[in-house]
Amino acid sequence: MLQSTLILPLKLLARNWSCGELKLLTISLVLAVAVLSGISIFANRLEATLLLQSNSILGADAVVTSSVPIDQSLIDRAAADNIQQSFASTFLSVVYAGDEMQLASIKAVDSLYPLRGQLDISDLVYAEKSSDIRAANTIPAAGEVWVDSRLFAALEMALGDKVAVGDVELTVKHILIDEPDGVNPMSSFGARLVMNSGDLSRTNIPQENYQWLLAAENAQALAEFIETIKPELNQHQSVATLESAQGQLAANLKTANHFLVIASVMAVLLAGVAIAIAARQFSLRHTNQVALMKSLGASALHIRLMYFGQLLMLGVVAALIGLVLGYALQELVALNINHLYRIELAPSSAHPYLLSFTGGVICVLFFALPALWFLPAIPPLKILRRELPVNLPQVWLQVVLALLAILMLMGLFSLDLKITLSATLGLLAVLLVAGMVSWLLLQISKLVVGSLGGVCRLAFAGMQKRKGQSLLQVVIFSLALMLLLTMTIIRTSFIADWQKQIPSDGPNYFIGNMNAADNTAFKQWLQETGIAAPPVYPVVRVRIAQINDVAPSEELRKRHNAFERELYVTGTDMLPDDNKIVAGQWWDAWENSGLDRAGVSIDAEFAKVIGLKLGDKLDFSVGGLTLSAQVASIRQIDWKSLDQNFLFIFEPNALDHFSPNYGAAIFVSPNHKPALNQFARNHPNLLLLDFGGMIANIQKIINQVSNGVGLVLWLTLGAGCLVLFAAVMSSIDSRKQEAGLLRALGSSRRLMLGSVIVEFALLGFLSGLIAIVGAEAFLLALQQFVFNSELQPHLAYWIAAPLLGGLLIATLGIVCCRSLVVTPPAVVLREAA
Amino acid sequence: MLAVQGITKTVATQAGELIILRDISLDVAAGESLAITGASGSGKSTLLGILAGLDVPTSGQVLLNKHALTSLDEEGRARVRADNVGFIFQSFQLLPGLTALENVMLPLELRGNKKAKSLALDFLAQVGLEKRINHYPQQLSGGEQQRVAIARAFASQPKILFADEPTGNLDTATGARIIDLLFELNAEQGATLVLITHEERLARRCQTRIVLSAGAILAAQDNS
Repeated sequence: MLQSTLILPLKLLARNWSCGELKLLTISLVLAVAVLSGISIFANRLEATLLLQSNSILGADAVVTSSVPIDQSLIDRAAADNIQQSFASTFLSVVYAGDEMQLASIKAVDSLYPLRGQLDISDLVYAEKSSDIRAANTIPAAGEVWVDSRLFAALEMALGDKVAVGDVELTVKHILIDEPDGVNPMSSFGARLVMNSGDLSRTNIPQENYQWLLAAENAQALAEFIETIKPELNQHQSVATLESAQGQLAANLKTANHFLVIASVMAVLLAGVAIAIAARQFSLRHTNQVALMKSLGASALHIRLMYFGQLLMLGVVAALIGLVLGYALQELVALNINHLYRIELAPSSAHPYLLSFTGGVICVLFFALPALWFLPAIPPLKILRRELPVNLPQVWLQVVLALLAILMLMGLFSLDLKITLSATLGLLAVLLVAGMVSWLLLQISKLVVGSLGGVCRLAFAGMQKRKGQSLLQVVIFSLALMLLLTMTIIRTSFIADWQKQIPSDGPNYFIGNMNAADNTAFKQWLQETGIAAPPVYPVVRVRIAQINDVAPSEELRKRHNAFERELYVTGTDMLPDDNKIVAGQWWDAWENSGLDRAGVSIDAEFAKVIGLKLGDKLDFSVGGLTLSAQVASIRQIDWKSLDQNFLFIFEPNALDHFSPNYGAAIFVSPNHKPALNQFARNHPNLLLLDFGGMIANIQKIINQVSNGVGLVLWLTLGAGCLVLFAAVMSSIDSRKQEAGLLRALGSSRRLMLGSVIVEFALLGFLSGLIAIVGAEAFLLALQQFVFNSELQPHLAYWIAAPLLGGLLIATLGIVCCRSLVVTPPAVVLREAA
Repeated sequence: MLAVQGITKTVATQAGELIILRDISLDVAAGESLAITGASGSGKSTLLGILAGLDVPTSGQVLLNKHALTSLDEEGRARVRADNVGFIFQSFQLLPGLTALENVMLPLELRGNKKAKSLALDFLAQVGLEKRINHYPQQLSGGEQQRVAIARAFASQPKILFADEPTGNLDTATGARIIDLLFELNAEQGATLVLITHEERLARRCQTRIVLSAGAILAAQDNS
């Protein structure tokens, strides 16, 4: 039994391999697993890296911010749950050094700070070289502080000098280069100082910004702990996690992850089609062999074991090779990223390896196995009577199984129902349209074939003769071209979209906390320096007190985090560039209904979640005062943009009675930075946020993802070419006999090659046309349901796709069929026999 | 060895029922040889298929080495073929991906015979191809390919050998050598031989000969 179950299939596998029959099948399987593993390992590493990076930005896995000290019972419970804790306190204060003073953001930390990431220090001001920067494995000792370059320069001091923070004098020990500070908006406003929390009480500065940093080895345990304490937090306390800290980045990554998932499954689908075609060809070529073996006494079980055994062994080997190749491919990208951006990707978990192997098994079971299913049922009599028909598996059955496999792979890899359904609907649409169009083509060719001459007649007659194959080829060509087009278009538009979000001259500084006088000086300074004047917004901090005269219920509070924090709002007549009014009127066309309420324009997402409509009443609390408003318009806001955006924009002058501060986001080129520092020094109460570093980080991440996306596109292209090649090759056997006969009867090479070109060019042209229809439909579904982006037609592709399709398929046709035309007819006939 | 009783084979066509074989009865004793001759379309191949258990008759009975083929299912017939039957085909039916040696080993391997290789080498030597064992079918001449097929047929030491036009694809001289080889080996092995042929020389060397016409036995001749 061992002989027939293991050794014989192994021998046959080796023999089939050595005569080249399994190459296409193997390459397709390897490619499918390589694509799946390459992408999932890469995505896993990217996610882990970003999680680490983001957590190091946060300084912890989660941070509870509070305006009152954290309740001791919560601290005890965290300790009981083995959660690491660290405590920090942040505040704004003027720091003095000799005659100089500067408003600074101060953070007092305990010895465990930070739980994630590190503090980077240097002894050089504005140090940039990695050799000048080192990671501090500790915090400032009692009596010492570390200050950032901006504060250090502003106070014109040297290391070892004393600075006064409140009532205490502390020694400046190091220059602070970087610190995790993702949740404290104040700490980002340049001029920073880190001190030991042991010195805090001596400053006599009242505290109202407490940070409770939490981390745990077991992410699940921490998530559960946070869920349990959430209901106990009061309105002055909130929890920040990775997603809340990195909202825009997370959105980009989600989009990129969607793309990677779609692309990988598309590539696998293409490889799957190639697998199915190759398996079908393989099984057709083996019908005689099976009949012979059955005549020699092999049972159906024998045949099943032999062929399924071969397939299983081939599948396992190909999956292992695919895993190695996938690992190597993503490692190549990771090395490239490391080389270019000095970011070392975190190692991957075992999960993507297992997932990819499972994907390979699904490919074998659903794409290859059905094609071999009929082999045991071949009658042994076929060895004597070749003309006996064989019950081949129905194509529709294979299509249904392939769709099932796609559903499974999509579900398994994306865990997203919308993507899965969009892709499945797109595929079904293409299959349907392609089937109908190719049937029409065959009908037309039947009508016109008699009236045509030479090359065209031969081409149309060929199509007629191989009706089934022609139909299948159009469907496969269309599918492959559609997926390639979809991937190309998505990739191009993603990259463009991301680049648009971060233009090279986009704002890199935020200047805030300006009073009216500062604002006038700021505008004058802009004129003097020639820096482009940005929109300046009056800003006040508010809390939502009532909606339609009722305090927000607990249920409403759960729907949006805007209730949990103070919000920055503005009043202006300038509609930000990336805002779009979707309901109501902007101020120039709006009329106050005279309710003694100011008009407010609100975020569309907020309106949707809370259920607000035009005319609804909103009351805000502004430092004890009440700001009454009614909804005048609803705006769609592009939160992915780095421009300043506001959940609520009031009508101009509505905030005048609430002592607004002014703020603006500006782009400051490196040569204008000294002027900016001087301006900040002249206005010590000014808040300056340098988010150039953040932009650089986002750009790095986008570049990482773009690299991954590019790689995936190439792999998809590879899979697409395999499919096209397999589809063309599938008709070679039936062409051999015909080519031999025609050549023997004296047909010229030119005529025959011409007919091949016409036939494949026509099939390619039609496939290109169907493909762009399908790609647009697929993109429509993706844009509508997955990416929530604007719908755009891609006109250039409507012209390019059919032309390129015709050219590509005709070229493949020539490459594959050339041997039939140039080989002597006797050889071709003998091979066909 | 082979007892056939009143077999009929009909197939349904668009034009109605077509009778391919009608009421065929014959007996072949162990070690005897039978030639089935007749014009193209007379039902020779269909009869051979039924005798060998590759096909089933519409009615009638076939006993092969005491196994009632007509009452067995395909799996049962496969077991009978594996234990009793060898084949030689007109178009040789060697697997193109396998060498001469591997082709001869195949039926032995299917039966799990552990001495497959030595037996195959032995029979290839008997047909004079000991120096071509590692050649692929396309590297062998027609006569050589048929000798490999003969070695394959005898290597599994069948009790009955069916040959379908064994010289049909060969020239006269090569055909004559193949016939000699076939009968020599058959004499050594003592197998029963049933063959289809158009060739008079070959038919004459068999002990019994039947002539088929329109699916019925037109004449039976005892050459012994």
